[in-house]
Amino acid sequence: MEGLLLAFNGWLDAIGLVDWARGSATVYPIANVLHVLGAIMLVGGIGVVDLRVIGLWRRLPLVPLSEALTPVAVAGLVLQALSGVILFAADGEALANSATFTAKLALLAIALGNAALFRWHWRGATGRDFYAPPPLARWSAMFSLSLWVAIATVGRLIAYY
Amino acid sequence: MSPFAKVALAGALAALPVAALAHHGWSSYVEDEPITLRGPLKDVVWGNPHGTAKMNWRGGEWDVILAPVSRMTARGLSLEEINNRQRIRLTGYVRRDGTPEMRVERIMIGDKTVELR
Repeated sequence: MEGLLLAFNGWLDAIGLVDWARGSATVYPIANVLHVLGAIMLVGGIGVVDLRVIGLWRRLPLVPLSEALTPVAVAGLVLQALSGVILFAADGEALANSATFTAKLALLAIALGNAALFRWHWRGATGRDFYAPPPLARWSAMFSLSLWVAIATVGRLIAYY
Repeated sequence: MSPFAKVALAGALAALPVAALAHHGWSSYVEDEPITLRGPLKDVVWGNPHGTAKMNWRGGEWDVILAPVSRMTARGLSLEEINNRQRIRLTGYVRRDGTPEMRVERIMIGDKTVELR
């Protein structure tokens, strides 16, 4: 993983992003703030849907809720990816060697896989019968929520270990 | 978008540059010119969000920015190794804007190197 990250850092350096991310006094703080906002949109958005699937707020119709909030979560994910690349570019060598950062990426891969599996498996469930999701869906949602919260936590702790 | 939402969004965007002023992350330092200093640290503070110290350099007293306590400990540094005017070496970067402040990349104590980045 370290080799892959260092290679990615090398590519970012070649296209000038490393100098830009490091050299500007404003780019890094802005990328930092955007990374926080993206996390709010992602964890907040998918978190509410996950909690509804798990069984909270049963009076709220699940499918319209998901249709409203999933795009917010996806927009948050895109924002995380873009701002994350800038944050990585500024400090790539140290991050490539950080076990905390590597753990975050591994959790992210699992969370994305879980989300893709859920969306694919329940792609037909747009009708009334998805008001009360079956246990499998609820476990998947609990797994999803736990993963996203863990990713945000581990991400914040990178600076501390 | 309602008028209220427009004002709220404009306010949020206007607040972003303020973050740049308050921040002293790595981008505030001149990273292409690492400096290596030898000498004792003074006034070592082993605290969060990051440890600090002072060091005499180039005729003045400089603020030395260390790392969070959890990181310093995890990387193998202890307060006792630096708070008694021990002669250490450190590699760091000075602040872009001329403020006498440096951020430390690594500390070397005898044969031991502690990476703080």
